[in-house]
Amino acid sequence: MFLKYLYAIFAAFKMNFLSLVVDGFFIFATLLMPLIYALIAFGILRDKGAHYGIFVAVGSGLAGLWTTLLFGSGNAITGERWSGTLELIAATPTPMWMIVFGKSLGVILQSLLSMVASYLLGWLVFGYPLGIAQPLEFFLVLFIGLLSFIAFGLMLAPLFLLNPQVQQFQNALEYPVYILCGFLFPIALLPFWTTPLSYILSPYWTARLLQAAAGGTLAWEQLVNESIYILALGGVYILIASVLFRIVLKKARVDATLGLQ
Amino acid sequence: MHQLITNLKLFWQGAALSYVALFSWLRPTTFLASMIIFPLGQILFFTLLGIFATGRDSASFYLIGNAMQITASAGIFGVTMAIGGERWAGTLMYLFGAPANRLTIFAGRATIHIFNGVVQVLMGLAWGLVLGWVSFAHTDPLALGITILIATFSTAALGLLLGCLGLVTLNIMFINNLVYFLLLLFSGANLPITALPQWMQYISWSLPLTRGIAAARFIVDGASLAEVAPLLVGEFFIGVGYLVAGYVLFRIFEIEAKRRGTLEAF
Repeated sequence: MFLKYLYAIFAAFKMNFLSLVVDGFFIFATLLMPLIYALIAFGILRDKGAHYGIFVAVGSGLAGLWTTLLFGSGNAITGERWSGTLELIAATPTPMWMIVFGKSLGVILQSLLSMVASYLLGWLVFGYPLGIAQPLEFFLVLFIGLLSFIAFGLMLAPLFLLNPQVQQFQNALEYPVYILCGFLFPIALLPFWTTPLSYILSPYWTARLLQAAAGGTLAWEQLVNESIYILALGGVYILIASVLFRIVLKKARVDATLGLQ
Repeated sequence: MHQLITNLKLFWQGAALSYVALFSWLRPTTFLASMIIFPLGQILFFTLLGIFATGRDSASFYLIGNAMQITASAGIFGVTMAIGGERWAGTLMYLFGAPANRLTIFAGRATIHIFNGVVQVLMGLAWGLVLGWVSFAHTDPLALGITILIATFSTAALGLLLGCLGLVTLNIMFINNLVYFLLLLFSGANLPITALPQWMQYISWSLPLTRGIAAARFIVDGASLAEVAPLLVGEFFIGVGYLVAGYVLFRIFEIEAKRRGTLEAF
């Protein structure tokens, strides 16, 4: 079934990617914002030693990745409603989630630039040694983490469409995730009651593994266990997304209220 | 006298209506998200990062810096949209077609956002007190209040200048986001100005907030109003400079847009 819709997925990916690379806000979110975060974090953490360079580069990149995902995937369907094309997409034979999946791939590809940008900043501007101690594990975790990011995006898109009240909090959702996922400081600094919230966010586990792989402290057992956990969380997000997509389509086909704000 | 009353009415109506329009359009939940949750998130994030880097003793440095910088949320985003939003709402030609005094229209757009910014800074500082990251035991409240007001005014003046750019560019969200985040870097909210390279320090001192944040830190540590007066005078005149530059641009863009027939052109 997946192969049958490959062309549609690719078309959605291509269109979204080409739209985003010329969008001022997304250029800001993927390139400039992580650089500014990285500059501030490099400055604040300067006394921690040069080995924190890679920690900052990974954390700032993940922050940019999350922001891009939050706005890119979060608006993947809402944007269609704004431009009046949502009903057309709901009526096509290609399942809506596949179109959102394709669009999310475009978002993820662009957001990877934020990781590269943060990395280059630390290396070229600050001269920090940014060698990745366990490169194979690092890129494996990155791949798995991106899959879960896409699953997260699939959940956000219909959630924001169905609950405009939730989307009002889109801007406000950036920092809480940076904090809960420990992108730039360990979650041990947070109150104990917030820990379960961190545990249900796959970016937390991704950040943890990426930072461990970059620093050379990632054990094989941790890699396997936590990667499975990331994939399982991704599965849960997809399950939630499938329920939400069903509600979206019902609103489109039965209630005819999809286009209404 | 009649002219003065008319201008005052215009000033107030412009201020109130642009503010109500902004948040009615965005709904109360956006107000809650952008005025309470977003600032709290920023304050928590940078203060925790600072605590992680240098210990709990440095918490007040980051808390005061970010609580003060939060005023840019109202001063930059709010004011920019109050001016630049006229174009998106399709009301720009009515605004420029009206015989109303331009200065009252222009300055009125920022007024309530200044009040908004002051409230946001106070809430940020209150969060710090609740979390035990800052103590106001030696603080002169009047001096702190004046500092917050002046810093908020100068930031809103920068917002007015950026709002004018919103009249001629489609990328205003790019511009105001960039300026907001650059203030995080250059204003001394998170990094001591003296730790920045010399060329960055020149930029820092030409921006609003830099002197206001420094003054707020001194006042919380027990300095008097007289001791921080030079910083506050500097902050005020930086604001006046941006206000004048914004007003001049506003007039130039109006004249140019009318001459070229590009008021509503995107």
